[in-house]
Amino acid sequence: MRSTGILSLAMAALLAGVTAGNALAQPKKGGTLTYTYHPEPTALSTIATTAVPVALISTKIYESLLEYEGAGLTPKPGLAESWTVSPDSLTYTFKLRAGVKWHDGKPFTSEDVKFSIEQIALNYHSRGRTYFGNVAAIETPDAQTVVLRLKAPIPYLLRAFQPSETPMMPKHAFSEQEIAEKKVRQARIMQEPVGTGPFKLKEWRKGSHIILERNADYWKPGKPYLDQVVLRVMPDGAARAIAVEKGEVDLAPTSALPPAEMQRLSKLPHLVASEEGSEGLGPIMWLEVNLRDKPLSDVKVRQAISMAIDRDKLVDVIWYGNGKPARGPIVSGNPNHFDASLPKFEYNPQKAAQMLDEAGYPRGAGGVRFKLTQNFLPYGEEWVRQAEYIRQELGKIGIQVETQSLDMGGWLKRIYTDWDYHFTSNFTHNYSDPTIGVQRAFISSNIRKGASFSNSMDYRNPRLDELLLKAAGMQDGPERKKVWNEVQAILRNDLPVIFLIEIGYTHIWNKRVQGLITNGISMYTNWDSVWIQ
Amino acid sequence: MKKATFQFVLRRLLQVVPVVLAIAAFNFLLLRMAPGDAADILAGQMGHATVEFTEQLRREFGLDRPLYQQFFIYMGKLLTLDLGMSHLQQTPVVDLIVDRLPATLILMVSAILLAVIVGICIGIAAARRQGRLADNLISVAALLVYATPAFWLGLMLIVLFSIKLDILPSGGMMQIGAGHEGLAHVLDVTWHLILPATTLGLFYVAIYTRLMRASMLEVYGLDFIVTARAKGLSEGVIAWTHAMRNALLPVVTLAGVQIGHLLGGSVLVETVFGWPGLGRLVFDALLQRDLNLLLGILFISSVVVVIANLVVDLVYGLLDPRIVHR
Repeated sequence: MRSTGILSLAMAALLAGVTAGNALAQPKKGGTLTYTYHPEPTALSTIATTAVPVALISTKIYESLLEYEGAGLTPKPGLAESWTVSPDSLTYTFKLRAGVKWHDGKPFTSEDVKFSIEQIALNYHSRGRTYFGNVAAIETPDAQTVVLRLKAPIPYLLRAFQPSETPMMPKHAFSEQEIAEKKVRQARIMQEPVGTGPFKLKEWRKGSHIILERNADYWKPGKPYLDQVVLRVMPDGAARAIAVEKGEVDLAPTSALPPAEMQRLSKLPHLVASEEGSEGLGPIMWLEVNLRDKPLSDVKVRQAISMAIDRDKLVDVIWYGNGKPARGPIVSGNPNHFDASLPKFEYNPQKAAQMLDEAGYPRGAGGVRFKLTQNFLPYGEEWVRQAEYIRQELGKIGIQVETQSLDMGGWLKRIYTDWDYHFTSNFTHNYSDPTIGVQRAFISSNIRKGASFSNSMDYRNPRLDELLLKAAGMQDGPERKKVWNEVQAILRNDLPVIFLIEIGYTHIWNKRVQGLITNGISMYTNWDSVWIQ
Repeated sequence: MKKATFQFVLRRLLQVVPVVLAIAAFNFLLLRMAPGDAADILAGQMGHATVEFTEQLRREFGLDRPLYQQFFIYMGKLLTLDLGMSHLQQTPVVDLIVDRLPATLILMVSAILLAVIVGICIGIAAARRQGRLADNLISVAALLVYATPAFWLGLMLIVLFSIKLDILPSGGMMQIGAGHEGLAHVLDVTWHLILPATTLGLFYVAIYTRLMRASMLEVYGLDFIVTARAKGLSEGVIAWTHAMRNALLPVVTLAGVQIGHLLGGSVLVETVFGWPGLGRLVFDALLQRDLNLLLGILFISSVVVVIANLVVDLVYGLLDPRIVHR
């Protein structure tokens, strides 16, 4: 029986692990890593969409110029074997590795790099303009050298070369027509990828599975260890959990299982559950508040709401222990920009009620001060339960809340195009730098109808705008850190959004899988060093 | 095929064209009433997008044109059987459907065959023992199965047969990477089909059991059965040859009507078992406002339902030669 075979294999692996001890274990070649995630990718390139399922699989196929180490994403050589930055931070010179080949056998050159940034990332990647908007020119003096000349410093430029953010694409795989008519998303390569990565596409049975196989010509000698990476498409959350529990699937990355199941599985001896490895994404959840009308335009009211919500309870009860209370706009796992001196937000319903009294909103008939409508992100039942919890807690301090349910299309339109809401749960990413992930939500120039995950709140603070723009033009260091500290202090005080929790991305894997967590974007790296015991 | 029957089929097929086009037009307008479009969703999925980026997507998808233009473009293409491109997957809708349709058809046909055959047999068995213990047990069991939600039943079957007993796979349509071919592939798929087809079919087994039982009892009261008994025919012969054929018509009618319903039910079952059919595709397309894909699936589904009903009409003629197709 197939599954019994896998089970006994798992048992054997487990015993081997116990006797050998993980620290001493030597990487072993061969084997298949099967993971599951839902929904199924719609394409095999983050140029088509950067949605999680696409980023998970395409980063094994495509690479970028650099690789990264640690939670703070320290750059190290990748397709570029070295790089230099001029003293004024306006010229970046990358030396490309010689002998790297695309999966179709053609050589990878500086022309591909120029093309990938100018034609692809800038025009099609949702963050392309953020990363490369200040690039004045890209020069290719020879096939192995790329020079980026900037109009103004880009502090996070060296963190932009992640495989999901700036994938290197082969220039020769696109027709002139596709480029000229802006039809890159329809190009064949979106479904039949040609990268430089350690794995290449073997089979994609839509609705069932994707099989990637080892790239025998990979430029790192001896890598990858795995023979295959398989994605099993399993739409039902409970069924995914069963498959992981049974050992039919080795890995459920990026909170691929329902939180209740993750909590259950994390206690099983043959599985590992970890929130490590997503620091570079910096996922954070907050209540987005429409500041256009009273009473939410009153900062005292927002502070009272913040004080009425028990964030620890949210984490423990609604999210089954997944994540931790947020302490501001930047996640605490970000070692470069988070202000570690920030305390937790206070939970004190009595004081919250008192603050509402002082703000001029006394209790009226039935103990109600005023009524609000809340929306929530339509990402699943936990979000509904969280809305229910918030309704209940705010009810205790005299705010009567009515909850409205919308699907994703309706939610996006209501919040970001119509601005027709009081408050809603929301979930965004810091990414590798606050200028990418934090600025966009709070800078006043981003109060624009139709821009998703922007400043829908109508929050305008000239001092904050000034700081955000200043930080955007500085290189990382103590001076820039100071600017970010002030940004965090201002936003904690103004509360244009009620920061709730740093929602954890939990990855669950079978103990036989080794070497998975390597940096702050562990699920979006190429897994060339992952192996199976 | 008789000439009259041939003309009947031809006429019915011609009638299908305006019906299916009307369904497509209605679907188009209905779906456009929902707030938000594919450009919003795709931009939203990417975490952060500027207004210009979203507008660029809208232009790429042709969603920036006035609604009436989009409508006429879509209907015009439909007349040439061009279902357009999926917005989110940037792949021709026809390709996506062709990838998935066979899996759904296999699941549906197995489920309906299971339901009709088992339902008829149990229904007859119950009718022959009317009022006795076996009849009562069958009725209660049918009622229970009828009231059980498919997704729950599916999960329970997985727990029992896949986890506890470990004799059937928990999901998927084939062993991934095994590369079976020919007979081995057929057996592999059949092996994976058992649980989902049972889950989808059981609900209908319950319905057909009750229907067949009632229908048989009605036929048992007719004169020709009394005559048959008087001739001294055995109860078995009476049940399986005389009564069954006459009692079948309502079951066949219902089976035809329920094809559309079955297609809906397969969404849940395909989700639970990770069965790579149309069901899940339609659900995701709806959430993602992938209008072209959704319209394409609904179009193909309506064609399948209309054709299934035509087949049922033809089966009538086989069961009861007195029915003449005009």
